[in-house]
Amino acid sequence: MDSAFSQLCVLGSSLVLIFGLILLWRRGVTAYINAFVWQSTVLSAVTATVGYFGNDRELYWVAGGLFLLKGVAIPRLLRRMERRFAAERELEPYVNTATSLVVSGLLVLFGYAITRPLVALSQLPTRAGMPLAMGLVLVSLFVVISRKKALTQVIGFLMLENGLALLAVLGTYGIPLIVELGVFLDVLMGFLVMQIFIYQIHETFESIDVEQLNRLRH
Amino acid sequence: MSVFILLLGPPLASALLAVAVKPYRQFVGWANALLSPFSIGAAVALWGHVLAGDVLTSGPGEFLRADALSTLLALCVSVVGALAAWLGPGMGGDDGYDGAQARKFRIFGNLFTFTMLFAVTSNNLGFMWIAIEATTITSAMLIPLHVTKASVEASWKYILIGSVGIALAFGGTVLGYFDFVNLAGHREGALNWTVLMASASRLHPQVIQLAFVFILIGYGTKAGLAPMHTWLPDAHSEAPAPLSAMMSGVLLAVALYAVIRWEAVVTAAVGTGFTDGLFIALGVLSLVIAAFSLVVQQNYKRMLAYSSIEHTGLMCVGLALGPLGSFAAMLHLVNHTLAKSMLFFLAGRVLHRYRTTEIGRVSGLLTVMPWTGGLFAAGVLAVVGLPPFGLFISEFALFRAGFAAGRPWLMGLVLALLAVAFVSMIGHLNRMLYGPPAPGVTVGEGNGWPLVPLGVCATALVVLGLTLPAPLQVLLERIVEIAGR
Repeated sequence: MDSAFSQLCVLGSSLVLIFGLILLWRRGVTAYINAFVWQSTVLSAVTATVGYFGNDRELYWVAGGLFLLKGVAIPRLLRRMERRFAAERELEPYVNTATSLVVSGLLVLFGYAITRPLVALSQLPTRAGMPLAMGLVLVSLFVVISRKKALTQVIGFLMLENGLALLAVLGTYGIPLIVELGVFLDVLMGFLVMQIFIYQIHETFESIDVEQLNRLRH
Repeated sequence: MSVFILLLGPPLASALLAVAVKPYRQFVGWANALLSPFSIGAAVALWGHVLAGDVLTSGPGEFLRADALSTLLALCVSVVGALAAWLGPGMGGDDGYDGAQARKFRIFGNLFTFTMLFAVTSNNLGFMWIAIEATTITSAMLIPLHVTKASVEASWKYILIGSVGIALAFGGTVLGYFDFVNLAGHREGALNWTVLMASASRLHPQVIQLAFVFILIGYGTKAGLAPMHTWLPDAHSEAPAPLSAMMSGVLLAVALYAVIRWEAVVTAAVGTGFTDGLFIALGVLSLVIAAFSLVVQQNYKRMLAYSSIEHTGLMCVGLALGPLGSFAAMLHLVNHTLAKSMLFFLAGRVLHRYRTTEIGRVSGLLTVMPWTGGLFAAGVLAVVGLPPFGLFISEFALFRAGFAAGRPWLMGLVLALLAVAFVSMIGHLNRMLYGPPAPGVTVGEGNGWPLVPLGVCATALVVLGLTLPAPLQVLLERIVEIAGR
């Protein structure tokens, strides 16, 4: 029983990480949004699985909230923005595809290295997935840094949060529900503010290419 | 309970009032201004409790808690919040903001104050994180109050870098929670700082160290520590003056507060060596970057912003210098809050008159606005660490702690960097104060009453430079105990 649970968790975490890696080689915001939707769906499925095997009913609520927020509501807003900016051509990132795949591979390895004490300490059957979650956090961080389009940076940021949510559920069976609710609220508010700013960038610069944001130096 | 309501209620009520009244009416600003001193009163009441030796808690599971560290920050936040309420847009007269902008300021500015006050009084480290994340959101909304290319750019950098940083701090919080849960299982209030501290000595050293690295990078981003500081000069220089004052005066301090809370846990688990090393590394890097950016600075608001990075770095170094150093760092925090919020309000007045943020185009400030110029000069002399201002005393105490802790080389380096900052800031100040008034600028002080509260700040700085009041000393000593030094 425990081994099936453990394998399900590793499978789910791997999928969550792989959907994150899609940002590295695909071009086009549509593909990124789809990857994000799938990632969030798998993440909420992993959360529900942990809830089922760990006998923690609170986690069903968390899974439901995750799915509604990151699988439905935020993607809908992302798609609306994407339609608005559809005419803009995709830009070459600061780092080319091959290099970024190599970098990400190294980052995932690094994730394994720094989570070794965690895996060694934990007794939970879910622990094997933690390095993958840490890998996703680091890869998403790299995406945010290396991309030029505001919308892609936001998706990278949302994936970073997914990585942290995965880490929390695998490592601790979820942070306390009341804190989780506050985190959801913050994610939503933060995303809405970012959305306002992207529209503002578009209005003032007539593009959402952040390379133009270079007025402020020194 | 009532003290906490008195502390947190006024900013929240003011924000709700501003939401309810549309379009903006002047009485909203006045109500905000008149309510704001109640928060200060509540913070002073908390101070009284700390001096009497008890720690106030409130709510289910000790939801809110105000020990000495919380009290110090609550004081700073409520004072700067009140300054912003009195001097912010929408109080009548020509302040360069229309009704919609004033309303936006009253809503988000008050929510910003509320989230900072909540962050420093929350016992639960999860809620502390939520509140600090919310400070990013509420303050980011106010940066493009005047929509320009520069302010839009600054707000984007701020929200993106700030959110990513704070997300990493969440990662650190999760790792800390992970460590605790592995030790003690799921318990009521497991994220409460008091509960965490009670079992901190048995936490797994490597895990809590990893957690602290995430925490320091995360909250350090918001505190403006190099190399995560890149958003700070942009945001501080493009934000409207009252917001710059709040961000520089207290937001950085609130982020540092969060670091100190976790530092106490880590110190209890693995001793001071680990955190000391990290604090010194980031602190010195911040000092280096700030000092050399000050040399080439051409914009007086950015100059003040880099000076904030410098002082945050200095506080960080102070935290690594044993009990005396922590004491000096906390005193420095108070002084910096007073000096820097005053300076940003004054910079707002200068900007309003000269319509430029370039140092080279501001000349004859002492002739054009003698009082503003005089206070500005006093403020800059204070932040470069000259007597008789409080920052001189706290820097002196910090150096003494450093030599006592046996780190003469480090202190020599820090002193040299402060000297670089000193020379360049005095040079910039000279260029602004003297010379013929810039052409086309009206001469005369104009509306002078906002200078009254700022003059009080300057007076307080002088008082802190001449003496250390006993209640403040006791408060700071209690904080040093909390920080586990």
